Amino acid sequence: MRVSTKWLKDFIDIDCTTEELAERFTMSGTPVENIIRAGVGLEKVVTGCIEKLERHPESDHLQICQMNVGAGEFLQIVTGAQNVAEGQIVPVALVGANLPCGKKISKGKLRGVVSNGMLCSPDELKIEGDSSGILILPEDTPIGVPAAEVLGLDDDILEFELTANRGDCFSVFGLVREAAVLFDRAPNFPEIKVDEDADADAADMIEIKIDAPDLCSRFSARVLTDVKLGPSPEWIQKRLEGAGIRAINNVVDVTNFVMVELGQPLHAYDYEEISGKVLNARRAVAGEQLHTLDDSNRLAKGGELVIADAEKAAGLAGVMGGYETEITEKTKTVVLEAASFNSASIRRTSRAVGLHSEASGRFERGVNEKATVTALDRAAQLLQEMGACKVCKGIVDVYPAPKSPVKVQFTSQQINDRLGTNYSDAEICGVLKKLGFEISEAGAQFDEDFITDRISFAAKHLGRAARELSQNASVDDFVKNIGETVGELINRSGSKSFVTYEATVPDWRNDVELMDDLAEEVARIFGYDKIPATLPKSAQQGHQSAAQNFADRIKNILAALGMNEITSFAFTSAETFDKLQIPADSELRRAVPIMNPLTDEFPLLRTNLVGSILENAARNFSRKNEDVRLFEIAPVFFPKALPITEQPREIQKLVGLLMGRREPKGWAQTSAEIDFYDAKGIVEELLAQLEIGNYSVEAGSHYALHPGKTAVFKKGREILLTLGEVHPAVADAFGINKKIYVFEADIATLIKCAAKKFSFESLPKYPAITRDLAILVSLDVAAGEVEKVIAKSAGKIFSGVTLFDVYTGERIAADKKSLAFNIKFQSGERTLTDEEADAAFKNILAAVEKDFEAELRS
Amino acid sequence: MEQKIQELRAAAQAEISGAADLKELDGVRVKFLGKKGELTSLLRGMNQVSAEDRPKIGKVVNEARAEIEKLIADKNSALKAAALQNKLASEKIDVTLPGRKVHCGHLHPLTLTLNRIKEIFIQMGYSVEEGPEVETDYFNFEALNLPKDHPARDMQDSFYITEEILLRTQTSPVQARTMQKNTGNAPIRMIAPGRVYRRDDFDASHSPMFHQVEGLVVDRGVTFGDLIGTLDFFCKQMFGENTNIRLRPSFFPFTSVSTECDCSCPICHGRDSNCKVCHGAGWLEILGAGEVHPKVLEMSGYSPSVVSGFAFGMGVERIAMIKYGIDDLRLFFENDLRFLNQF
Ligand SMILES: [Zn+2]
Repeated sequence: MRVSTKWLKDFIDIDCTTEELAERFTMSGTPVENIIRAGVGLEKVVTGCIEKLERHPESDHLQICQMNVGAGEFLQIVTGAQNVAEGQIVPVALVGANLPCGKKISKGKLRGVVSNGMLCSPDELKIEGDSSGILILPEDTPIGVPAAEVLGLDDDILEFELTANRGDCFSVFGLVREAAVLFDRAPNFPEIKVDEDADADAADMIEIKIDAPDLCSRFSARVLTDVKLGPSPEWIQKRLEGAGIRAINNVVDVTNFVMVELGQPLHAYDYEEISGKVLNARRAVAGEQLHTLDDSNRLAKGGELVIADAEKAAGLAGVMGGYETEITEKTKTVVLEAASFNSASIRRTSRAVGLHSEASGRFERGVNEKATVTALDRAAQLLQEMGACKVCKGIVDVYPAPKSPVKVQFTSQQINDRLGTNYSDAEICGVLKKLGFEISEAGAQFDEDFITDRISFAAKHLGRAARELSQNASVDDFVKNIGETVGELINRSGSKSFVTYEATVPDWRNDVELMDDLAEEVARIFGYDKIPATLPKSAQQGHQSAAQNFADRIKNILAALGMNEITSFAFTSAETFDKLQIPADSELRRAVPIMNPLTDEFPLLRTNLVGSILENAARNFSRKNEDVRLFEIAPVFFPKALPITEQPREIQKLVGLLMGRREPKGWAQTSAEIDFYDAKGIVEELLAQLEIGNYSVEAGSHYALHPGKTAVFKKGREILLTLGEVHPAVADAFGINKKIYVFEADIATLIKCAAKKFSFESLPKYPAITRDLAILVSLDVAAGEVEKVIAKSAGKIFSGVTLFDVYTGERIAADKKSLAFNIKFQSGERTLTDEEADAAFKNILAAVEKDFEAELRS
Repeated sequence: MEQKIQELRAAAQAEISGAADLKELDGVRVKFLGKKGELTSLLRGMNQVSAEDRPKIGKVVNEARAEIEKLIADKNSALKAAALQNKLASEKIDVTLPGRKVHCGHLHPLTLTLNRIKEIFIQMGYSVEEGPEVETDYFNFEALNLPKDHPARDMQDSFYITEEILLRTQTSPVQARTMQKNTGNAPIRMIAPGRVYRRDDFDASHSPMFHQVEGLVVDRGVTFGDLIGTLDFFCKQMFGENTNIRLRPSFFPFTSVSTECDCSCPICHGRDSNCKVCHGAGWLEILGAGEVHPKVLEMSGYSPSVVSGFAFGMGVERIAMIKYGIDDLRLFFENDLRFLNQF
């Protein structure tokens, strides 16, 4: 909402700067978002009279003016304008002016003639007017005064960004009421009174009905006759302009003016056009035609609140008026409506038709239904004052269930407890009274805790005194004890207020219902900065869950392994599924659809993280970041049923991606590209650090991965992780012509398979013996399988095997490969003998010969 | 004889000092001291010396031998030292060449920021709670005192899955979920970090997905002053001891004494009118907070006449942008390695 500071100052005497005013409003809960400064750039523009005008000797179109700007000496200014004449008063930009249009005025010469300023056109001052020439001011304009003052541009506009609860501040009166409390000044509201000077009785002319009292709680109307339509006075137009509302004609302008002034939207109907002379607030019937004043025909969905005459709906209540009953030049008699409509209903309708008006915004926040009559009176008064109408007798007012005032009980203790303050009864009641609350005492009620506390105090002390008496203490002491106890009780009582007050909420405030709301009023008026900062007293143990710790660990490990964490959006599309080659019948295509996606590109929630990490890799690749190592932990979403009936399953996933060089680019670094085993090494290290052991790795398959380069890490039947080279067709679909390695895992499975307890393994006490085993096996034998057999056949003294060479080539048969293992034997109890190691080695050899037809390489 | 020895000695001295390397020096040693060396042969001739002269000559021979040995040893060390000098000189490298780079991984700046936020609140006794990202209308709105048609719903244009299920627009539903897990007004001190979604276009200051941290404290006697102290502590921990906060009254349906919290600009402290972060305002809006609305407590089974509490919600991106001076929200989600590698 925009409002001019002059309008506010009409009703309250405040003499602070606009900034201070904005600050006070903002810091007490009616935030000023912006100050629109009037007259910015007009600081060095004054009014001046053209005393003498002569042709420029060197130019046909330039003229030399001698300007009287009230400075004694005349100022010489060269102008190109043709609409000037001697004796005229015009705005003059002096040297140093920095005009709103961006022009800076400096001393200069035009074709050899000195010019000390500029005569200004409306355009150059950024005001309305004929921009083909200089702005000519009225003849009686004083000379040498700031142009801003003359042009009425000395009024700053405050732009409020009001919170949804403060409908009452959606008006000049409301803001003045706030300012009155903030600056402790009494507001000076105008007297609203109407002279009902027409003969007719409003009630005889129009009938008002409310068929939907749940959507319209009050409908009041006045009838104005002998209406003379025309422009409204300058001052009303100025005020409306400041509020960002265009002036139309006196009737419409007054309805808008009163809406801004009092907060009550009004609507004016052309009486002649009201069929049956009845206005009824009723629900629209589905399919009903609505001809709105923008001359568009709308079909009612059904249930919207409309104001209808005997024949048809004459407008969407509170949102937009009807076409037929609109005020026109022919209008002679006007029905003015001031009603209170249900805010939820208005909100629904205005959203449905995509229309947000000044009126609908006010109804959405709620208007003061007690004030409809005042608003009608104010409008009638203004129109009458400008001689634009006569006012019929009486108001037709339908108000089926008058709202009873809201009453809230409180004690100052409750408010202080809520805030952590120590305000007195007088301070609290004082603030509330200034805000318009009526305060009465509702009695002294004791709160239960307090009484319990006092009774136990008394019982304890009296009990001890009685005990002492029974143990032969003197009666004097007993009496003294009791006296002290009673004294203490009285003391303690004094520190606490018992008076329960009842606050009657002023009718313009629809946001105060509870003691807590009163606490907020007290806090915001005294200032949040006055409340002492403390910390909650109770002690609690901070922590995060084991699962959260686990996810943090994964992130730290992967970062230590050279991987960069990314954050990507949760949205995806069927096209991405296509690019990933996800089979048509896969569960991964059964994604959760969004009803109202931002764009058609991302209508689904993702079911996998592979697509988004590939998109991120592709973006980096296209930006020439070629060594890409990324990972992300995020949820994927699977519907429990389609169409969706309940919340989908959310599964935390880990995804990683590697591409580019093995080592960063450098003068002494290999330029080799990473391969599958680089990625596998990172995965193995991750699992090791997560203490996930005893897993197996086998060749597997994955929709987006190379069929011959996909490894599945398993622990028992659980799939821990899948790793592989991205299928070249998939890489191509994402615009990457390089080898990419991707791994993905399910966080819950990783957690399940991770060792629950870390146990330290002591360092070996006895030396190890190693033996190398080099064998020839056929090409299709998996090294992992050979390792398993070695481990199994080595016996108890086996302590580890490392594959240190793989060879295929000229020196061996074409269908064979050579595998070389370093096998370690060790005992925790004694030093092994060579014979023991040899025996174990023999067993291993026999086993691999048997299982893989391996030949020992000599 | 004696003279011969002296001559030999002089000759040895000359040859030793003339030896250019260890090999030549060894040749000199063999020549004079070897089994067939000149001094050795001279000793062999001792039997020709008269018995009375023998001790004297013997002494001279031994002295000569000792001296030659010493000269050789000295020369040996000198030559070795020189050889090492030469070797070291020849091994000189260009230390200005860059070192071999390693691939270094980085946590995302939002994770780093969130980790810091978690640390601060965990040390204040908060637990870290979680909730689903696809929420019910009930938990996302209604349990937070935002009934259907509430105007405040406009502020959060939502992604709907069905009429009743949506992508959560805030982490606040975790408040209600946590309270409903508890019974008997059990005290709560929690934060709930997570992703949230709003139907905003993706630009320098908006994103359809971003991160929030919700906080909730419920207990007997929790005051608005406790909230102020908590926010002040948080800002000082997050942005530095000389940071201040400023509270502006505001409105949220789920709080009753509601406030927006600004912190003083940690970059310029309000002293730079061209500050990239605060644009000269000196204050940065960082979070919204307030006392928990009694209706919210009630709806989740807590009794507002027994307990009170406060809640706050902050945007992790906002905090990270302030902390690192980042001016474009998109950088967080584009994941350009040149950006990620800076953290
Ligand atoms: Zn700054």
